[in-house]
Amino acid sequence: MRIRFDEQLALLNKELIEMGALCEEAIALSSKALTAADKELAKKVAPLDAEIDQKERNIESLCLKLLLKQQPVASDLRLISAALKMITDMERIGDQAEDIAEIVCFLDGRSAENDDLMREMARTTIQMVTESVDAFVNRDILLARNVISDDDIVDAFFDQVRKKLIDKIGKEPSDGEYALDLLMIAKYLERIGDHAVNIAKWVIFSVTGVHKEE
Amino acid sequence: MTKKIFKNIFLVSVVVLLSSIVIIMGCLYEYFGSVQESQMQDQLELAAAAVEDYGESYLCKLSSDNYRLTWVAPDGTVLYDTQTDAKTMENHSDRSEIKKALTDGEGESSRYSTTLMQKTMYRAKRLSDGSVLRISVSRASIGVLVTGKLPWIFLVFSIAIALSAILANRMSEHIIEPLNGLDLDQPLENDVYEELAPLLGRINRQHLEIKDQLRRLQRQRDEFEQITDSMKEGLVLLDTKGTVLSINHAAQKLFDIDISSVGRDFLTVDRSLDMSNAMRQTKENGFGELRAERNGRLYQFDLSRIDSNGEAVGMVILSFDITEQEAAERIRREFTANVSHELKTPLQGIIGSAELLEKDMVKPEDKPRFIGHIRTEAARMVTLIEDIIRLSQLDEGAGMPRAAVDMLEVAQKTAETLHDAAVKKGVTLSVDGVSAEVNGVRRLLYEIVFNLCDNAIKYNKKGGSVKISVASEESTVSVTVKDTGIGIPPEYQSRVFERFYRVDKSHSRASGGTGLGLSIVKHAVQYHYGNIKLQSEPNQGTEITVILPK
Repeated sequence: MRIRFDEQLALLNKELIEMGALCEEAIALSSKALTAADKELAKKVAPLDAEIDQKERNIESLCLKLLLKQQPVASDLRLISAALKMITDMERIGDQAEDIAEIVCFLDGRSAENDDLMREMARTTIQMVTESVDAFVNRDILLARNVISDDDIVDAFFDQVRKKLIDKIGKEPSDGEYALDLLMIAKYLERIGDHAVNIAKWVIFSVTGVHKEE
Repeated sequence: MTKKIFKNIFLVSVVVLLSSIVIIMGCLYEYFGSVQESQMQDQLELAAAAVEDYGESYLCKLSSDNYRLTWVAPDGTVLYDTQTDAKTMENHSDRSEIKKALTDGEGESSRYSTTLMQKTMYRAKRLSDGSVLRISVSRASIGVLVTGKLPWIFLVFSIAIALSAILANRMSEHIIEPLNGLDLDQPLENDVYEELAPLLGRINRQHLEIKDQLRRLQRQRDEFEQITDSMKEGLVLLDTKGTVLSINHAAQKLFDIDISSVGRDFLTVDRSLDMSNAMRQTKENGFGELRAERNGRLYQFDLSRIDSNGEAVGMVILSFDITEQEAAERIRREFTANVSHELKTPLQGIIGSAELLEKDMVKPEDKPRFIGHIRTEAARMVTLIEDIIRLSQLDEGAGMPRAAVDMLEVAQKTAETLHDAAVKKGVTLSVDGVSAEVNGVRRLLYEIVFNLCDNAIKYNKKGGSVKISVASEESTVSVTVKDTGIGIPPEYQSRVFERFYRVDKSHSRASGGTGLGLSIVKHAVQYHYGNIKLQSEPNQGTEITVILPK
């Protein structure tokens, strides 16, 4: 019975890492599509998102099965409850990556104009997602705290992008739609950063048993 | 074991105790029975003699609790009884012992009274007057005896049991003690029960075998680790579940992890989708490959499933760094494309001019210009082909005669040759330094200095300068060509030595170069086992130093 439990916990761990990897891939793909204005790349994100959704359901049922049948305690219970929360955030990351890819398709081959800023913002966000998954893989609290503090950087990027886009609308009101699309993308990136922070917090919870509230 | 021995000893002593009590009691009962019987006989004889002499008066005087005497007349009427009033007693003629005594002179019988739980024994004797004297004694049954002595029996029994328990405990501990004290690390050193000798001998043998096997395994593992750790390629061994069994140094560096990843899932080492896909494919097909970037370098991953007896037992992931290989492949591809392009361009010019001339579409006064054009383009092609031939000669490393060559002399000769070109471009050309000899191929060394100077003049500004200086060090000779030209932007500096690579992407022929000059320099320097240093700043100038061993 216990051996089976351990195996299932290992499976849960594995599935979570795989889901994390899928999220990384989705956000990396959509940001690549954004900077390269590549519609074909953008179209590859949707299947990934579907896969992420499937993974979420799998992990959810696995967690519930473990909770009901094995009645886990202590750190096992923390891992499973943290997993249940984390997959929601990961699923949201997948959705938002898909949303970005969708907007990239609407942009009609125009790449992000304030290129460097957006690229930097996307890079930082991807790094946050990667680090939050890394933190989970290695149960690394320091790295998780790092992710939490990195959120301020992404927020600052968002403010900068917003200001630039306001200026742009002021100068070229006719291009307002494009500016709004970019603003949406920036907002999505900022949200992805928040989800990465949530994941990091649940990683800390699963290790220490303390969930840091804002 | 102690418990079992104790239990056995204890059980044996209890059984022995119980059975001896029973046997002893049985024997004693029998013995006392027979003693009582003979006593009874004696008493009867005595009483009979006395009754014959004294009659009833003897019986009246007799008082005994142990015996009961009854005097019966020949017709069965009781004449006297020592315990009961004779008159109340019934006729005794039907009693078997009396009947027998009347007929045979003597008789006996015994009756068991269940109500009194005792046995009464009778003995009768016929007196000379025909009357019968009977003696009777009652004797308690063994059950009554035992019940009567029960507290004593119980006391003795419990003392004996307690004693035997203590002794059994001591004994079993004593037996076990040497077994507990066995030194199993050195089985043969023990001096205990000789019955254990075969067992200990066997343990000793197995000890040695295990030690030997462990040593062999350790050695094999060490060998394996030494081999894999000194490999340049990354090697990861996984079991069927994807757990890392072994990971060598190169792979640890590649995936940026340490040895602690052994025993963990490979996903914690690398979770990229390409890798998962390749692993899935390998599980199904037995092999898989993947080209992926890690830490800014390009790797080729070869995955293969390990099968044993038709069953998958794990997976090997082997990784090669193919960054350089990939770069070399790219350069070769570009070279082919460039060669075709470079050769085609002058030919197009020649064909175009020739066609115009053929169709007589050129004014007579323009004809020399067109013919001149054909000639210069053809000459350009020849230069190009010569450069390519020279490069391929260098590639082949064809053995060329080496001799002592004075680099200062080479520099001066180059300056002479290029004097006109420099004047044309408005650039001053100067040579300084000491004479220094290099053991090398004169033609190639000349080529080096020539190409460097040629470039320095070509990519210079009007009024600029080119300085060639030759310096001699302990074991090397360095030739430096410094110009004040347009310089090379930092991002292109690593690529200018590639064939046909030009900073000016337009392939313009304004400068007239073939794009092979620096490539020839690089190869010629390599041929002499030398080094090239490039320092350049856009719009400031370039300084290229060639260091050649003497």
